[in-house]
Amino acid sequence: MAGKSGRTINATPENVWKKQIFSWEGILVIIFIAVIILCKILSPNYTFTNVLREMPKYLSEIFLLFPMAYILLLGEIDISVGSIVCLSATAGCLVSNAGVPFGGVVIVILLTGTICGAINGAILVKFPELPSMIVTLGTQIVFRGIAEIVLGSGGSVSLSNTDGFRMIAKKAGPFPYVFFLVIISAVIFTVISVKMKFGRSLYAIGSNRQTAFYSGIRVKKVIFTAYTVMGLFAGIAALFLTSALYGANTTTGKGFEMDAIAMAVFGGIATTGGKGRLVGGVISAFIIICLRIGLGQINMNSQLILVIIGILLICAVLLPNITGNMKLKKKAN
Amino acid sequence: MEKKSIWKRMKDSREASLVIVLILLCAAVSIKNPAFLSLNNIEEILKNNAVTMILALGMLCVLLIGGIDISIASTLAFTGMSVGLLFKYGYMSSTLLGFVLAMAIGALCGLIIGLVIGKGKVTPIIATMGFMYIYRGMAYVVGNSQWAGADALGDFKNFALESYLGFGLINNVIMITIICYVIFFIVMKWTKFGRNIYAVGSNPEAAEISGIHVARVKIAVYTIMGLLSGLCGALATTVYASAQPDMQTGKEMDVIAACVIGGVSMSGGKGSVAGALLGALMLAVIAKALPLVGIDSLAQNTVKGVLIVAVIILNVITKRAMDKSNLERREM
Repeated sequence: MAGKSGRTINATPENVWKKQIFSWEGILVIIFIAVIILCKILSPNYTFTNVLREMPKYLSEIFLLFPMAYILLLGEIDISVGSIVCLSATAGCLVSNAGVPFGGVVIVILLTGTICGAINGAILVKFPELPSMIVTLGTQIVFRGIAEIVLGSGGSVSLSNTDGFRMIAKKAGPFPYVFFLVIISAVIFTVISVKMKFGRSLYAIGSNRQTAFYSGIRVKKVIFTAYTVMGLFAGIAALFLTSALYGANTTTGKGFEMDAIAMAVFGGIATTGGKGRLVGGVISAFIIICLRIGLGQINMNSQLILVIIGILLICAVLLPNITGNMKLKKKAN
Repeated sequence: MEKKSIWKRMKDSREASLVIVLILLCAAVSIKNPAFLSLNNIEEILKNNAVTMILALGMLCVLLIGGIDISIASTLAFTGMSVGLLFKYGYMSSTLLGFVLAMAIGALCGLIIGLVIGKGKVTPIIATMGFMYIYRGMAYVVGNSQWAGADALGDFKNFALESYLGFGLINNVIMITIICYVIFFIVMKWTKFGRNIYAVGSNPEAAEISGIHVARVKIAVYTIMGLLSGLCGALATTVYASAQPDMQTGKEMDVIAACVIGGVSMSGGKGSVAGALLGALMLAVIAKALPLVGIDSLAQNTVKGVLIVAVIILNVITKRAMDKSNLERREM
């Protein structure tokens, strides 16, 4: 950044970040083990089967993490996913109550999510000048608003026929079906981000959109795909959320977008784009879930748990920056 | 020539077009329902939206330096709860003390956020997201499953009903809003600090080189945002005569929407106090007008969301058209 004046500005410690990223997944694994040991000490009920039994409640949020990680890698953000979950779940419940067979219900839920995601993507691709934060803020209000209109004054709907939803909420041994789906998606998304052309173009676009464009990456197509996939997975999350709640209301999925972003950022994915790995996001998701289950078992106030997660999040992003600054100062001396 | 330049300035000015739209909107609604422009109704609209209007000022500053703050509703709830409970348990009874304390707590909350963003160099959205969880949680923790109702607030709740600050003519809450806007209008336009905010937002590196302490400006801006959140915590407590830990959830999005509709750029450096005011008024008028023109209040959020998206898209389209015409003129 040295201009003609010869001055340099080292306000952005990029290299330091990179070095930290290399070991961040390692630190996360250590934190994960520490969390499990801590919960084990605090609660005698913190056994493998017990944790797995409580897990489905939280697992649906992980579906949002993978595509959210992609969008963050692009340097974009999507805060409308909670509302997409709400709208998809509402659509599914209403269609199911109207007597449509379960297969049709699944299609409706996934399709609703995908369409919502595609709308986000289309707006952002058509008007690249717009910041994604404000576009998805608008659609966040619209999608939940549509659900509010559809649900009417009561504001909630409960399933009259829960057979199909009960089926997908079943377990194989101690593991719920969702768990396998989460693991499979995690593997697929990680492999795509590391090995495939699409995954690498995410990093390229996130690091420098113009360079990526001039080196032949179809930026618009990638962004559109990322947002559409986000919508699809919001639909999947809605499907499994409905199978746990047997209904939907106007507050379904509220705050999911923030949880997903928090998981990704805690996992070392930078919101500025181009930096971070999906593995970190997955580990941090399980750290947060295990911590929630553990603290929930000792009857800790759920709001206090949020405070702890908030502090963890701030520390996770603050620490590398502080140590990075110190290193920079040392170098300067 | 002179006439043309005024017309051009009008056309280019975001605020002027907003004023026109706002006047048209008010006129249309008052034809349909003459009660809309009655003094009582206007007072009620302003009183009920004072929180959004005041927070829009702080958010304006935050957006101007290229940041964002989504923790404001949580700070508001935390300060509102703290003050409300202090009244409830009888630790204090003075209204003035309540406001001062709320602003102090809010400023402290903001200062912490400012330090994390300014000194810790954390991305604003992430930092404020963390503090959104933390302060909202703290609102529940200080509450300890208690809340302060109208009977617990004593004299404090009467503040919103009286008008001694406005010389018996204007409601106290509205008067505070006006005072805030006057202060901010002067500070943003004519003081060094106000211009520094614009400088930091337009180009932080250039600002740093020209001797502005960017980190200090950032800390100051987030502290002001916290201070206003604290003030609004107290205001919301007196307007609604209750303090609950879940008060004003999601308000931050309304405030950001108001700023964006008012022409404040999300990437920093662009925006004005008048724009923030007009954006907040626009949202307020629409929210109030929908039921009057016969649209179900359930559809309110959808209309609001569509409006936000429409406004920002319209913005881009006009900007593109303007760039194109500028280019054509140059080619000639």
